[in-house]
Amino acid sequence: MIIIKNLYKEFSQDTTQSFHALKDINLSINDGECLILNGVSGSGKSTLLSIIGAIMKPTSGSVEIDGENIVSLSDFHTSNYRNTKIGFVTQSFHLFDELSVKDNISIPLIITDLSNDEMDEYIKHAMKIANISHKSNQKVKTLSGGEKQRCIIARALVNDPQIILCDEPTANLDYTNSIKFIDIIKKLKEMKKTLIIATHDPLFNNLACADKTLNIKEGSLE
Amino acid sequence: MLNSKYINFLFLLLITYRKKHISIFIISVIIVALVTSILFISSAIQKDINTTLQSQADFTIQRYKAGKVLNTPQSWIDEFLQIDGISKVQGRIYGMHFYEPAETYFMIVGIDFFDDNVVKTLQTLIDNIDIDKFLSRDNMIIGSGVKKFLDEYAYKDYYNFRPPDRSIKKVYIYGTLPKQSNIVSSDMIIMDIDLARKILGVEDGYVTDIIIEVPNPKEAPMIRTKLTISHFDMRIIEKEDIKRYYKNLFNYKGGVFLILYTIVLVTFLLILYQRYSMISNIDSKEIAILRSVGWKINSIIWLKISENFIVAFSAYLVGVITAYIYVFILNAPLLKEIFLGHNNLSQDITFSQQINTTDLGIVFLLFVIPFIIAIIIPVWHKSIIEPTEVMR
Repeated sequence: MIIIKNLYKEFSQDTTQSFHALKDINLSINDGECLILNGVSGSGKSTLLSIIGAIMKPTSGSVEIDGENIVSLSDFHTSNYRNTKIGFVTQSFHLFDELSVKDNISIPLIITDLSNDEMDEYIKHAMKIANISHKSNQKVKTLSGGEKQRCIIARALVNDPQIILCDEPTANLDYTNSIKFIDIIKKLKEMKKTLIIATHDPLFNNLACADKTLNIKEGSLE
Repeated sequence: MLNSKYINFLFLLLITYRKKHISIFIISVIIVALVTSILFISSAIQKDINTTLQSQADFTIQRYKAGKVLNTPQSWIDEFLQIDGISKVQGRIYGMHFYEPAETYFMIVGIDFFDDNVVKTLQTLIDNIDIDKFLSRDNMIIGSGVKKFLDEYAYKDYYNFRPPDRSIKKVYIYGTLPKQSNIVSSDMIIMDIDLARKILGVEDGYVTDIIIEVPNPKEAPMIRTKLTISHFDMRIIEKEDIKRYYKNLFNYKGGVFLILYTIVLVTFLLILYQRYSMISNIDSKEIAILRSVGWKINSIIWLKISENFIVAFSAYLVGVITAYIYVFILNAPLLKEIFLGHNNLSQDITFSQQINTTDLGIVFLLFVIPFIIAIIIPVWHKSIIEPTEVMR
């Protein structure tokens, strides 16, 4: 379960000016829930996801995951947390372009204790869910946008994390690929993953598998 | 951390991004090869000097008047023999011969072939020298530089000297001195002392200089004092002075090169540091990806250390091998000319293989370690930034 209490994030532009990206966010998400965070660009959606994903520290407040406040964890433990509990699906295709799909997906597993055989099993399973198995040995730079997105999804799933964070996942996809992505989301929901999707894509409005839809505006939840 | 998955990934990155490393690798090889060549040449020269000058006399006495070197009276030999602690005193005849066809000078050294020690020294340089055969007619042994010049003008078997008495002295070439001794013998002609006296026009009762041997090095300072006060118109040259002269000469040249190398290395490291400080978008993205999927800062730094250590160490190995081939197989063209110069004759030297592991260790420490540090600091800087910062 994710419990967010009194979360603030302030970006200092210089000594006199600062920008409040998040203001007093209070939120709880149950395991296996699918939450849609709606909001325009600059509303604070990505900042909230980055804090939940422990790649950014808030200015104040707490984020409890299964009873542990990840805000106060050391870098060593937040890295472990990201590696075992979080899967990130980003809008930009953050991949090693020169490496193959399989090699990209394997990156989170390299630092684990898994054997090579176990690693292969995990990679195959993730590629199957993301429907990218057929491109396994192809270099990422040769993939289409939709295929790159599926590669990122497979990488996010490869460690079998409980929480999947999707930041504008369909922003760079055409309609067909966006629909394919939603199909994958449905699969993940069936797998009881906790899903948080930050988007302003109308395709996600009234999504059947969504348990909650929240609007975020100027850093505050409505 | 160092498991097979990590090593596979490391080599995957190295192979995939080989273009990124290739320019640094090539520059590194050149730098390492250059400095290692200098060290190889210096060590080889020092070894050759030590070997060649080992048989040098402890003291060499020259008559010196009004700033000019004059012939030394042979009567001094008997005087010096009276000094306790001196085991051997011998007169030498030597001088320069102007070789007109090439407008260059050769050094004629006359030696006493009835002196066992002289013959033994000569035998270490030239195998199977038959002294009786050598003295049966006017023979000479020449340095390889001299041989080269004589060959050019078809003096294959003999050469006609013109002594000051206007006669012509035909001297046969008996053999050539080995290239290993070229550092001091390239322009040398060795012949019997009486023949040398005649060719150089040194009058009877005089020698060019006198050499003295002192078996006990502890007595050398006292003997030097006694020699100094025996005559005021003379100069004493010690064996160590000669060695020091050659060492200083080559150390100075090596030192200049090492300073140049240091400047090049520092510049290279600054460029390297700057390059990684202005870390490319691709590098930043890679670090951010690794951080976002749970890689710890130290894992990322280890990855970059390993990646760059392999590049730097490979460059070091290739550089050392290149230097070995350049110095000991190709005989260091260009650098050899700069090091040895053209004092008289071109120094056609074959460097003796002399590899000093300390030198190689110093090159390793002064190259590989700063290389890694120059890269790691900027990488560490990027790694400690929140991944979102880098992703923007």
